[in-house]
Amino acid sequence: MHIKRASVALIAALTIAACSGAAATPTPLPATPTPAPVVTPAPTPAPTATPVVTPAPTATPAATPTASPTPAASTAAPSPSASSTLKIGVVTDVGRVDDKNFNQFSFEGAKLGATDIGAAAPQVVVPNSADEYASDIQQYVSQSYDVIVTVGFNLYSATVAAALANPNIWFIGVDQSICVDATGKDDPTFACKGDPKTLLPHYIGISFEEDQAGYLAGIVAASISQSHIIGAIGGINLVPAVVRYIQGYQLGAMATDPTVSVKIGYVSKSDFTKAFADPAGGQTYATQFIQANKPDVLFQVAGSTGNGVLQAACTAGIDGIGVDVDQWGSLSAATDPTYGCIVTSAEKHLSNAVEASIQQISGGTAAGGNVEYNATNDGIGVSMEQDGKGLITPAIQTLLDTALAGMKAGSVTTCPTTCGQP
Amino acid sequence: MTTSPPAAASPPTADPPPSSVPALEMRGITKRYPGVIANDHIDLDLRRGEIHALLGENGAGKTTLMNVLYGLATPDEGEILLDGKVVDIGGPSDAIARGISMVHQHFMLVPVLSVAENIVLGLETMANRVFLDLGEARRRIRDLAARFGFDIDPDAKVASLSVGQQQRVEILKALYREARILVLDEPTAVLTPQETEEIFVLLRRLAENGRSIVFISHKLYEVLEIADRITVIRRGRVVGERAPKETSEDELAELMVGREVQLTVDRGVSDPGAVTLEVDALRVTDDRGHPAVREVSLQVRAGEILGIAGVAGNGQDELVEAIVGLRSVAGGRVTLKGKDITGASPRHIHDSQVAYVPADRHRFGLILSFPITDNLVLNRYCDAPFARGIIRNDEAVLAEAKDNIAEYDIRTPSATAPVATLSGGNQQKLVVAREFDRDLALLVLDQPTRGLDVGSIEFIHRQVIAKRNAGTAVLLVSAELDEVLEMSDRISVMYRGELVATVDGRTADKNEVGLLMATGGKAKPDAEWTQPIDRGATT
Amino acid sequence: MSVAQPPDRSLSGRIRAAWGIVALPLLSILLALIVGALVMILSAPIAGKPVDLGLPLTAYGALFQGSVGNFDAIIGTLRTTAPLLLAGLGIGLGFKAGLFNIGAQGQFLIGGIASIAFAQLVHDMDPLIAIPFALLGGILGGALWAFIPGVLKATRGAHEVVTTIMMNYIALSTLSYLASGPLKLPLSPQPVTAGVGNAALPILLGRDGHLGILIAFLVVPLVWFLLYRTTRGFEIRAVGANPDAARYAGMKPRRLIILTMSIAGGLAGLAGAGNILGVNHQMSASFSTTVGFDAITVALLGRSNPVGIVFASLLLGAMRAGAPLMQIEAGVPVELVDVVQAIILLFLVANAVLRRFFRLRGVSANLGTTETMTATYGSEAIR
Repeated sequence: MHIKRASVALIAALTIAACSGAAATPTPLPATPTPAPVVTPAPTPAPTATPVVTPAPTATPAATPTASPTPAASTAAPSPSASSTLKIGVVTDVGRVDDKNFNQFSFEGAKLGATDIGAAAPQVVVPNSADEYASDIQQYVSQSYDVIVTVGFNLYSATVAAALANPNIWFIGVDQSICVDATGKDDPTFACKGDPKTLLPHYIGISFEEDQAGYLAGIVAASISQSHIIGAIGGINLVPAVVRYIQGYQLGAMATDPTVSVKIGYVSKSDFTKAFADPAGGQTYATQFIQANKPDVLFQVAGSTGNGVLQAACTAGIDGIGVDVDQWGSLSAATDPTYGCIVTSAEKHLSNAVEASIQQISGGTAAGGNVEYNATNDGIGVSMEQDGKGLITPAIQTLLDTALAGMKAGSVTTCPTTCGQP
Repeated sequence: MTTSPPAAASPPTADPPPSSVPALEMRGITKRYPGVIANDHIDLDLRRGEIHALLGENGAGKTTLMNVLYGLATPDEGEILLDGKVVDIGGPSDAIARGISMVHQHFMLVPVLSVAENIVLGLETMANRVFLDLGEARRRIRDLAARFGFDIDPDAKVASLSVGQQQRVEILKALYREARILVLDEPTAVLTPQETEEIFVLLRRLAENGRSIVFISHKLYEVLEIADRITVIRRGRVVGERAPKETSEDELAELMVGREVQLTVDRGVSDPGAVTLEVDALRVTDDRGHPAVREVSLQVRAGEILGIAGVAGNGQDELVEAIVGLRSVAGGRVTLKGKDITGASPRHIHDSQVAYVPADRHRFGLILSFPITDNLVLNRYCDAPFARGIIRNDEAVLAEAKDNIAEYDIRTPSATAPVATLSGGNQQKLVVAREFDRDLALLVLDQPTRGLDVGSIEFIHRQVIAKRNAGTAVLLVSAELDEVLEMSDRISVMYRGELVATVDGRTADKNEVGLLMATGGKAKPDAEWTQPIDRGATT
Repeated sequence: MSVAQPPDRSLSGRIRAAWGIVALPLLSILLALIVGALVMILSAPIAGKPVDLGLPLTAYGALFQGSVGNFDAIIGTLRTTAPLLLAGLGIGLGFKAGLFNIGAQGQFLIGGIASIAFAQLVHDMDPLIAIPFALLGGILGGALWAFIPGVLKATRGAHEVVTTIMMNYIALSTLSYLASGPLKLPLSPQPVTAGVGNAALPILLGRDGHLGILIAFLVVPLVWFLLYRTTRGFEIRAVGANPDAARYAGMKPRRLIILTMSIAGGLAGLAGAGNILGVNHQMSASFSTTVGFDAITVALLGRSNPVGIVFASLLLGAMRAGAPLMQIEAGVPVELVDVVQAIILLFLVANAVLRRFFRLRGVSANLGTTETMTATYGSEAIR
């Protein structure tokens, strides 16, 4: 029993060692000679399609909505802070650093940020278990690191405590929204009386408006649907981010095609393992979901369970929409049957957000507190279609552009009043 | 099991050396273990076609000597010659390649496989790279079986064979590997008298065919019957070599033990008192749920020994296990001194002054990895003075152990040595010490001397007689007819789960009782009867 | 025939005896570290990095530095050791009774969540009341989680390997349910439980040397005493070594199986409670840990002996505590620790290979626990 687990660990370790060096390169696709790859830009300067915009929260990129800005490194590399001495460390969540998801893209962002400012390559620690979060952060503190990136909500408590104890170290919390009491401690009552900006001036809590990304996905889904039935499968309805994605998806779809029927399902009502870490279960659930509801587009918001959902969609011959990161890139292994059925993905620009925060810290413009990433600061988007089928027509692209502009202007509502609530 | 193919063996029949040269010669073999010389300059030679018995008490060094021969132990001094040439045997596979095979007391067979599969295990002849060629193996096995007079079906599953047949499979396995020297370690310990006779016939035929056999035993009459020559070893040394014609059981026993041994304990006169144990229409099933004890009724009085004779596997184990509370009762009643103890817990029965010496001491009687001290209090560990409340009192346990070791002559270097390091005889003495060392109403003995040497047997028999004389009721179950005849005041014969006859122990006729054991005194065997699971014997 | 060997009382004899006990574990650890080094060196080219023969030294140096390099590191090691020690004691106790309890993982999680549940009842009371109460909750939770497989084995003969694995899954789901339902921090957008209030264990030493560490080490002599000085412990060991003989001796194997499982579960539950009350102070629905599985290695490496388990848990605790610095300084992934651990276990289980290869003739073959494990796995201990 244990031996089996151990041998799995051995294989896993070898695989990770094998992957960690080359994880950044997305698979280039011959079918689409379109602009630079989305989300995971190659470190080498890409032929830039759009002028570079520093993704500072205030700046409004004039770029095409789907393409994220090419990182500063490509053109603005020799900036004044080219030889930063900042030591950057990343603590991911439990799992693997090359998870093609949160851990990986946050780490990518840290690496890009370090390159941008000319700092040494960041280090990464993958905790072995949830009781290690605090001590892993502490390792960096003990080693006098200047910037510590913690990935995922689970590390929030440990990050708040560390930020309070070490006011001179910068903390970037990915997917963490800071809520503290008047003393700067984590506030379990969620009154959020304390002002993080003053109490924890070096803690940047990055969060995303998932509903906006979901809204864009909804536009795509409603537009390409022939049957006017589209579906969305979430992992669990207890996680507000999941709910927001799906609420945005509904609104976006309805706004595009008032006759569309949006079918929604959640893989589990209580079990987070089933909800987010069970691809086989996701596939079974989605297969039944597709049979029962007959959608012809399916959006997944269920972590790696969702990878099984996409698998089911591809098997059933319908279109799939990925989540969080460009799943075309994360599932595009040549042998993967999923290849070809992912139309787009509703993205959080994790890498951009982390990279931008590091640039701001280096440039002295950073401020603590909660930073919302949304359409305004290019924090969200949908990925470019890479399957070469041309499903996302110029007309749909126009719809997306319009919606993004509306979000920036505040004229588009992407979430109902019960935003995030099941 | 070996992995070396028979091809690696030097063909035993090709170019046979002159017959004057012994097939095997062991010269001056010395093997020391810390504190003990297991073999002290032992010389042994084995002629072609000879059955050579190796006789000795448990712990005399027989097994060590054979381990040296089989490559399991490296001798500190001495040399081994095969056909006059000095050889260095590196391990069992090497030994097998040189034509030496050992048939262990505990069979090394896989029950779910067929006879042929068991025999080829480790040296499979392959039809091609993927599939076994069992056909060829079957043909060779049939040839061998025909040549040596085996009656065996190569396709029968080993699990379905009787113990005697399983042993023949082991021997066949050795022959299949082209063994010319066979070592049989106490081959008769697990056999019925009939099976013993059959195996003797087989062994003689093998010897006539030029095979040489080392026959290890401590059953004197068997050795006298089968061997061409007898070598006796005691405490690691050869103390005598005899031909069967010029010696006797008494002389051999004296050689083995080093003093005069009373092979037959004087049982004296019994003075039976009140009925102590009464069993009334008892029914018990075996592990598979088949009836093993069918309507058995018996009485044992204080101060008498009731012997149960019977071929092993006729329900005796189940009977005594039910009496002492280890096995549930399907029907009937067990009464001890007028109190119903049917279905009582083993502890309750133990506390009612009942002692039990189990047939399988390794399974029931001892915890081999535990020290002697703990084993001596195995069923008294929570009684004063061995425990105060739930806290154990190691000093009291140790003191008791030292007393028992002295009183029952348990030979051990230390009271805290693990029981596994003791010889079989000393292990059994330990069980006896634990069970006998208190006032007893009833003593239940199941095969109390199985696998023991004459010295230990004598000792245990004396203790049993002493207990009887002290007024204990004794129920003695033994597959050794001689033991039952010598010890019992009354004898009941158990056959297929029933007591078929009861005779007076002093006047009983051996042949009469033997016939009852074999046939139950019935013309026709009982169709309902299924042989209980054989759980093997231990020594 | 076995030759009785008198114990050698001389100094060299004692050294030989000691070597006989520790040789295999030490050799296994050493070989595992060597294999780990080879993995590091050889995996570099696969990852497209240059081969760096010095990498193992850097990595193991950082591992050492991160585990015992300074005061804080040592406290960190003790902190990771404590749960391994407690859960390892529980699994070792099971081994002694012939039970292969794979369920420490679930018992740990349930112990943790139960301690939170209990803590919430008393969160505003005096710590002198709140702490013992919450710890008790953890013990009861873990004990309950092991009691169920114990009863199933004793009454229905269901093998504990199977049932405890099942219970691990049920524990995950139960945790998920409790953390996102009844015990959820009200108003929190995420599925996390409320904190433990006054039941939080005080820090006694350094930055994170909490009370639970002390408790874990205090439990060692208790378990030792139970096993070797009480009649109950004697029964547990007897049932493990030979259930038939135990029954013959009047012991009650069924009852002992249930009792042993419950104690083992209570220890794993205490491990969970100690970690939650001392380190995390809350649990999220997706709380993940490897304590329960690492503890199996601990128990095997420590040969189920409480003292051996102390050393084994210190070793694994140090590796876990040092692993982050190893990642930071040498860029070697944390999985290397899993690799090393796995190889230690492989060598221990395949000890015959080691003994033959290194000609360890005098070395005790009696790897008690592995034997118990293989003897009981799949076989039926009770009749």
